[in-house]
Amino acid sequence: MTASGRDRLGNAAAIGDARPQGWLAAWDAFWFTPADPLPLAAIRIATGLILAWSSLVWLCDADAFFGPRGWLPAEQVWRMNDQPWQWSWYFAAISPNTIRALAGVTLAAALMLAAGLATPLAAVVSLAGLVSAANRAPLNTFGLDDTLGLLLVGLSVGPAGACWSLDRLLAGQGRGATPSVRANVALRIIQVHLCVVYLFSGCGKLLGESWWEGTALWGAVANAQYRTLDLTGLAPHPLLVNALTLTTLWWEIGYAALIWPRLTRRAFLAVAVAVHLGIGLAMGMMEFGLAMLTANLAFVPADTMRRLFRPLMSSPPPPGLP
Amino acid sequence: MLDDHAITRRWPMALRAVASIAIVVYLAAVVVPPLAGPPPASRLANLVLQPLRPLVGAVYLGHGYRFFAPNPGPGHSIRWVATLPDGTTRSGAIPDAAADWPRLLYHRRFMVAEKIDALVPPADAPAEVRQRAKAAWLPLVKGVAGNVLRHTGATTVRLERVEHYLPDPEEVTAGTPGADAITPLGSYAWAEGGPR
Repeated sequence: MTASGRDRLGNAAAIGDARPQGWLAAWDAFWFTPADPLPLAAIRIATGLILAWSSLVWLCDADAFFGPRGWLPAEQVWRMNDQPWQWSWYFAAISPNTIRALAGVTLAAALMLAAGLATPLAAVVSLAGLVSAANRAPLNTFGLDDTLGLLLVGLSVGPAGACWSLDRLLAGQGRGATPSVRANVALRIIQVHLCVVYLFSGCGKLLGESWWEGTALWGAVANAQYRTLDLTGLAPHPLLVNALTLTTLWWEIGYAALIWPRLTRRAFLAVAVAVHLGIGLAMGMMEFGLAMLTANLAFVPADTMRRLFRPLMSSPPPPGLP
Repeated sequence: MLDDHAITRRWPMALRAVASIAIVVYLAAVVVPPLAGPPPASRLANLVLQPLRPLVGAVYLGHGYRFFAPNPGPGHSIRWVATLPDGTTRSGAIPDAAADWPRLLYHRRFMVAEKIDALVPPADAPAEVRQRAKAAWLPLVKGVAGNVLRHTGATTVRLERVEHYLPDPEEVTAGTPGADAITPLGSYAWAEGGPR
């Protein structure tokens, strides 16, 4: 069994051991077992491309988003986000040219990240650019920015350029990569953070009667401001709306527990694809949907990715993995 | 199982201990913000959040993750009517599905209307509630007004919040949707470098 293919909860014997040493061993196995960096590379490419697109869109109206006379003047930002150390390089930018140049830095870093060029630097600058934009323009942010943030932290921590990257090609190292603890830590951070996102999203929905009644999905379908695909044809099919609503609710609530066992992981990933592509197509939030699916890649084992991308890859699994 | 070659690449104990502390602190900064808000939230979660706030702010972790919760509600926009220096008027809306392209740009502008809406009580709310809320939304609405004035070259702009009626399935089937709810947000003109 490969490191990527076996259940990534780690050492089964340690998990079954309720003594403190058993807990420590389980923690150690969970976080510090070397992992194949291939899933991280796939996440890097997708994240870089989505961030590049987001940066281009920020640039479409950079003065309004980040300028002193934009949607939200800098001195009013605290009203939307009052965390200390809530920094942004746009706070120092006054002229339109400086603002565009800084947005351009994020765009360039995102493209370098996608290509895997100077990857560690590109990941950190991409994260800085994302945080700068989100902290300066909190009136314009939404779930896409939250998700890109969680991905970029993982990519900044791990060896995101260890495979499928220009860095690797330029170093003459081919396409394979060795398993590493840093790759595992980065993937674990993304996995756990994603579980937190789904858990709180699901628990928040439990406060609303429309989710219990199974009618919440209608609220999204009938909202013309979100709608990009007219699904009001669901009106005569209330039981179908009930089923779709309840599936979404219980999938979100169950995700944090049931994404880990191999028995249920595929089903939960399949529903993730349906939910996020559905939101993307029907509610015009394709970037958010793709970012969430990118985060879900952290749960796709490397050998599965290798099978999926076999036509594009000729290299064998990395050393250290049978 | 990993072979010996992979196992030898494991980190030494001291490094794993330091990394474990960093991981615990980071995960606390991930988990505590959604516990601490938006309401309802406990005092305990808000107390635990305090020492984590610098990290939460620095890495942009202050999220509630309450997507479409507790209930998906009606959509909102901000309608504007601008008076140009020659006395003619122009009107529009934020967001504008016809003009705001690509869709991500529309969505970023849509968030302006949605986030301001969260601060504006309904027009029929008690006067005291409306007055108190105005202190929170007025600075943000002034930013919107300034943006419209800058884009249009207008001398004054009138803004109103539109809550788009959310029809139920029966109304859609019968073709009888209800009316949108309008809340005035005031008129603004440039004065001393900013909209007043």
